[in-house]
Amino acid sequence: MTLASELVLIAVGAAVINNFVLHYFVGICPFIGVSRRVDMAFGMGCAVTFVISVAALLSWTFTFYILRPGAPLTSWAVRSVTGKADATLDLSILNYIVYIFVIASSVQLVEMYVRKFFPRLYKSFGVFLPLITTNCAILFACLEIMKHVSVGAGGGAWGAGGGAAWGLAQAMTLAIAGGLGFTIAIVIMAGIREELDHCDLPEALKGPGITLLIAGILALAFMGFSGVDKTLSGLMGGAQ
Amino acid sequence: MTTALMIILAGAVMLILAAFMGHVLGWASKTFHVETDPRIEQVNLALPGANCGGCGYVGCLEYAEAVVAASEAVDKCTVGGASVAKEIADILGVAVGQSWPFRPAVHCGANFASRLKRSDYRGEKTCASANIVSGIQGCTYGCTGLGDCERSCRFDAIHVVDGLSTVDYEKCVGCGACAKVCPRNIISMVPFKAERMLVVACANQDFGREVKNVCKVGCLGCKACARASDLFSFKDGNIPIIDYDKYDPSAMEGAEVALAKCPMKRLMMIGKPTDKDLEAVADRKKPKVVTADFKTTVDDTEWLG
Repeated sequence: MTLASELVLIAVGAAVINNFVLHYFVGICPFIGVSRRVDMAFGMGCAVTFVISVAALLSWTFTFYILRPGAPLTSWAVRSVTGKADATLDLSILNYIVYIFVIASSVQLVEMYVRKFFPRLYKSFGVFLPLITTNCAILFACLEIMKHVSVGAGGGAWGAGGGAAWGLAQAMTLAIAGGLGFTIAIVIMAGIREELDHCDLPEALKGPGITLLIAGILALAFMGFSGVDKTLSGLMGGAQ
Repeated sequence: MTTALMIILAGAVMLILAAFMGHVLGWASKTFHVETDPRIEQVNLALPGANCGGCGYVGCLEYAEAVVAASEAVDKCTVGGASVAKEIADILGVAVGQSWPFRPAVHCGANFASRLKRSDYRGEKTCASANIVSGIQGCTYGCTGLGDCERSCRFDAIHVVDGLSTVDYEKCVGCGACAKVCPRNIISMVPFKAERMLVVACANQDFGREVKNVCKVGCLGCKACARASDLFSFKDGNIPIIDYDKYDPSAMEGAEVALAKCPMKRLMMIGKPTDKDLEAVADRKKPKVVTADFKTTVDDTEWLG
């Protein structure tokens, strides 16, 4: 499979088939909390996409060069200290703390940026902007990348190495497409909830009840995309 | 050896990461710095934080911003009243003007028994819906008793008692939600210049016989009050309107005469109950308030709501 078709498959997979929100059920809190108005939801989607991209870039870099077993920088450090030519060290115990660190910092960055340039959006986000810090969708993307980077040899820095391990291209594709999928899901949800304002709902279902029901039905609808990746890879002449 | 090396390397990685991120964030906080007026935060802290919208702004923070930036009046907060107005004035270094707390007055005095020609309304139990249908009761001006105001109140201060909206002035903070929601516009906000205020407890604009046909207690429009005091005027329709700008709690002689003259007793004092009022209901039993004992897992308290 060529790099291009692999990237297309990763993108389609992350955005629709295995949508972060509707397939893996991560990132539910902003999905429910900020999906009241379409413009707010779109802003949230953009913020999450940005944070996922920055976090993915940084976490891929750290994982690839420092944290994974046999990472070049770590190996170099170990070899120069011990003097053995084949000595290596596995720093993957640091994975989680580094990802959390990276995510928290990029959220801080986004918060300052949004506050400066989109004060209205900043106000409507309220507590949900800092809450991206603990948004599982972003940590999920980082962990997904970690899983694919740590599998062993291959996968050059730009992903064109042809090995099993992911390069930066695959990682960034997953992150951006995942963020796009989150945006799609939350905007659809906000559109439905705007219409819901005009509906005569039973008292017991108002608020979170009907929202969660709709989220479930949306997830069912997105199940319809499963299998699309096989067809796509067939179309692109690859063997899945 | 390997373990020691690993600990050192791990520490070094975290240190480098921290230095890098700290540098980026430090740069960002300088580049994206936003100038904010510290007084906004102070004013916001002084406000009650009820976010009721009584001041005309969305929430307390919006009002705080308007006070600081757009030189809005400091006494708009109805919940906080005079004390909050003074606090805000101290923060901003301005003087508070004379201000009165606004409280709602229900311009209807007829309970179910007094309202005539009531039909068996089986539609949606809201005033807004009932007001669209004609003929739910004879009087097209008065309270429908379906409690839109009660549901709109966030302070549990207005209740439908025997079909008539009744304000609990002890709990009321004057946010004006009930006055906004009433589809028949019979709740108005009255400046409480004294603890007890005179109001016209009827909104029927018709005259004499037509009022008699629909209500046992409605104002007939006889204009006796207007003859007794210039506080009352009949601008349009047959209902007296009290000019609260002229209203002076210390000079109520004319109003007292009008109060005595009104044949239907539609002029009423509302607000804090007098000792006489309290005496009149002294023999009535107060509901016993049961406090739940949360130590027991089985809650056997009674519901007396």
